[in-house]
Amino acid sequence: MNNLAKFTIGIFFTLGMAWLAFVVGARSQFGDLVPTSEVLDDDGSVPEDAELFPIAFSGIAKQGAEEYAALGCVTCHTQQVRRVEAGFDVERGWGKRPSAPRDYVLQKHVLLGNSRIGPDLANVGLREYSDEWLHQHLFEPQSIFPSSLCPPSPFLYQQIDEPVNTDIEIASNNDPQDNRHVRPTVRANRLVAYLQALKQDYELPEVSFVETEDEPVEEDVVSTDVSVASSSAPQWLQEQIDTGKEIYMKAAPGGGMCFTCHQQNGEGLAGQFPPLAGSDWVLGNKERLIKISMYGLMGEIEVNGVKYNNVMAPPGIPPGSLTDDQIANVLTYIRNDWGNSASAVSAEEVATVRASLKGRAPMQMFTAAELTTPVQ
Amino acid sequence: MNDDSTHSGNLPNDKEFSDEEIVKSHVELSKTKHEPTANFLLAPLVFVFVFGCLIFVCSIQLSHSTNSFQLHPPVEIVELTAEEKETLRLDRKISSGEKIFAARCASCHQANGLGIEGQFPPLAGSEWVSADPAVIANVILKGLKGEIMVKGQKYGTSAAVNMAAVPITDREIANVSTYVRQAWGNSSSEVFEDEVSRLRDESSDMQDQWVGSELRKMFSDSFGQ
Amino acid sequence: MAVDSPDKVIDRSAKLAFSFFLSSAGLWLLMAALLAYLAAAKLTDPFFLSSFEFLTYGKVKVAQANAFVYGWGGNAIFAVSLWILARLSQAEVRGSVFLIFAGVIWNLAITFGLLGIMDGHMSGHEMLEMPTEVWPAMLISYLIITFLALVIHRSRQVRETIAPQWFILAALLWFPALFLIAWNGLEINPARGTLQTVLSMWYGQSLVWLWLTPVALGAAYYLIPAILGRTIDKYYLAIFGFWCIAALAPWSVVHHLEGGPVPMWIPAVGTVMSIAMVFPIAVASTNFHATAFMDIGKVWDSLPLRFVIFGTLSYTVSSYIGVVFSLPAVAKITQFTIINEFHFNQRVYGFFSMIIFGAVYFALPRITGREIPKAAKSFHFWTSTLGVLMLLLAYLIGGLTHGVLAGQPSLPWASSVIQSIQPYFLITKFAFIILAFSQFVFVVNVWRVIFPNPFAFFAEDKKEASV
Repeated sequence: MNNLAKFTIGIFFTLGMAWLAFVVGARSQFGDLVPTSEVLDDDGSVPEDAELFPIAFSGIAKQGAEEYAALGCVTCHTQQVRRVEAGFDVERGWGKRPSAPRDYVLQKHVLLGNSRIGPDLANVGLREYSDEWLHQHLFEPQSIFPSSLCPPSPFLYQQIDEPVNTDIEIASNNDPQDNRHVRPTVRANRLVAYLQALKQDYELPEVSFVETEDEPVEEDVVSTDVSVASSSAPQWLQEQIDTGKEIYMKAAPGGGMCFTCHQQNGEGLAGQFPPLAGSDWVLGNKERLIKISMYGLMGEIEVNGVKYNNVMAPPGIPPGSLTDDQIANVLTYIRNDWGNSASAVSAEEVATVRASLKGRAPMQMFTAAELTTPVQ
Repeated sequence: MNDDSTHSGNLPNDKEFSDEEIVKSHVELSKTKHEPTANFLLAPLVFVFVFGCLIFVCSIQLSHSTNSFQLHPPVEIVELTAEEKETLRLDRKISSGEKIFAARCASCHQANGLGIEGQFPPLAGSEWVSADPAVIANVILKGLKGEIMVKGQKYGTSAAVNMAAVPITDREIANVSTYVRQAWGNSSSEVFEDEVSRLRDESSDMQDQWVGSELRKMFSDSFGQ
Repeated sequence: MAVDSPDKVIDRSAKLAFSFFLSSAGLWLLMAALLAYLAAAKLTDPFFLSSFEFLTYGKVKVAQANAFVYGWGGNAIFAVSLWILARLSQAEVRGSVFLIFAGVIWNLAITFGLLGIMDGHMSGHEMLEMPTEVWPAMLISYLIITFLALVIHRSRQVRETIAPQWFILAALLWFPALFLIAWNGLEINPARGTLQTVLSMWYGQSLVWLWLTPVALGAAYYLIPAILGRTIDKYYLAIFGFWCIAALAPWSVVHHLEGGPVPMWIPAVGTVMSIAMVFPIAVASTNFHATAFMDIGKVWDSLPLRFVIFGTLSYTVSSYIGVVFSLPAVAKITQFTIINEFHFNQRVYGFFSMIIFGAVYFALPRITGREIPKAAKSFHFWTSTLGVLMLLLAYLIGGLTHGVLAGQPSLPWASSVIQSIQPYFLITKFAFIILAFSQFVFVVNVWRVIFPNPFAFFAEDKKEASV
């Protein structure tokens, strides 16, 4: 104790032991984890064609992570689902399974957090909040949860007096006349993209989903009507959209099975199947769409400036069997999902087109050229 | 202020210590090691006992909750018989093939494998599918042109997709062919990756698509029935 | 010219550095008090100042912790440890110019660091939130100060060392090591995945256990015998207590990761070592309280000692509470709740700051030759006591409520769990107001004693130096 050098060695020895364990030891134990598949092959290797998890954030979500760190969200929000025996997190519906070290290996800043004045966010992207909902929550949490302590972030939004339909409506709790419209800045969009990307919805070899007995309690949205304020549609339209979606997704008689090519998210497949989301064809002339839905399409077609060359068999099972109603619904659906917003298609319009094509052979597909050339 | 006569060796306590005295008296204390008190023998014993108990309790806690110092609970490895392993492998191959089919083939041949009458030949029950594995693999590798007969129906392949234009790996071809050969009531043999690789090598010089009638001739034995 | 006693000479040599560090510590204390009030007010009314981006709750809260630990804590550590080391070594403080130079860099670095946090350059790693750029400056200035502290210690008159010296020296030496490990692992050569969390948790908690705590314990080991005029009771245990803290504390801090996405052995080892921390806590508690309770009247009469004993009592009680909360069965409830705030505030306010206040009240008259008015000291003690107790009880009870309610999945989060702990946030807001007043009185008086005549201060000092 009296010799400074020996004393120094002593105190650094004790510190060094902990360093060896928590820094050196831990690093060698799990410092080089890599993404893996949900299930391993029998010999413990990753199957060659399996999808790997976790997946990296998109660029905008990575920028959102920086915003999240800079705003200090980690002060009140954790991003970890504790093991079942160590906490109530899974029961609360904050995740399908406990988080594992591997879930975080692709994140630049790992913001596990240590305090939960707000709920856990490890799986906020799984809670099916719409982007509008998240924007509204970021702008003013109290407009959704009146008793929330989360600080509003009005500095991430522009208040708009003359809104267009992409702006977010913030409903007032007291007076509908006081409703405000805000337009997210790019920073708000990054943050929302990051939040939507936070999800641990895959299994890993080391951790599987936990079976819960009860449905997790839904979070306390006090005024539920608020959350759909921005996307509210008249009931008849909503019904048409919902039925249309069923047809879009159905792969049995009576369905269109559209999603196999155009995908559930309407993005199509690059180079193979054109997108529907934001497509100039889908949002444009209805007649063309109706024709395609009856007879199919083949050959080269240019969508949003990109050329595709493939064959679209007449939709329906069996092919070309969709009724006027079904065509009207599915077209209304694709014109009003994934950010699309265009007028509905009615069964009468379909019937008119069908009548005008009387005499065309049942399976004679259209070509894009045929549809774009004005009818003589 | 209570007077403590029991506490010996102290300087008078009505005044503050100077720093020199603090150092000297404490150094002195640490040299004598322990204070001659009545509890001298008992205290260390109690101490050792409590410490021992604590170490015991803590070791139990450690052994229970450290998961043997492993990163995560051992990944459950179920001992499978050779048969089960084979089934599992085939299941995975077929489910992978199903995904490939849904994304790349179903637009024409339809998810139910029935194709579209007059336009796209069916795969379900098709003699082309149940023929030699090389037939389906070759068609996927290079594409097919010319008229063909499938289940007694004539199909023209003028609208055929040039499948070779879309890159696809041997493994994917093996998986999707196996799926097609075993779905919708089909029950033909599995297609293996190395077989596809061999066919790819063999046909690497071919610029054009297969002509249906030629292909059928090459493998006419297997078209049978 | 009368011959001064050696203590007087030492005090005079320490005057410049001590005054500088103490007065800047005071400013940081007020800054932290203001930020603490803002943070508490934002928790009671989320719309409070919500339109200013640089004042979001997350930033204010983090800035407060950093201002408190590095600003107030760091400067106070420098002031108190330099002086105590000089007194115990019976050696003069040398290189005051370098000390002040380093101190200025340290304070500037923290200022830029806090501005960086407010401006949105925050890393999100516990107690390492300040932007990367300020850390090299802080490290260099810290090393200069530590080097000069070691120089004092090397020139000591008595070769043997005693408990206060061990604790203070160890704290001074541990900090740069801890910091370099964490900074390397998080910023320079960043670890992947949850290793980052292990490291930042280890650093953030060790900072309290291996930097603030030992200095406060060392000061208590010095002040109690110095004021009471009696040796530490069962002093032979002190060495055991010291090495127990040195060996166990760096292991015990990671128990906060219980249940999280790290290998199970890390929190398990942390929990076991936390339980073992019972021994060093018991040792320190026995040493302090056995000595103090032999002469309880004198403790009561001496204001510095009252502060110190409040601090040591709070250390004992809350450390035991901390041990209980580290048990997995309890941690299941208390983890992630505002009990964390209880732990942090108890360490930095209830324990560290109280002992430092005691040390300042003891040292300041000796160094400057001027006394702080008794009424001011008394006001400071009682308001601090009241504020700290209010704060800690609110966080403790609020934290238990928080944990118990959160553990019932049928209760919705915002409208039930968080709403039921809102009253406690209101109490903490008042507690922070009381503490802010209390600290304001303290700082104003310290400044008035250090700078009785602000313009004459440096002139007077020069005159003294030339004598």
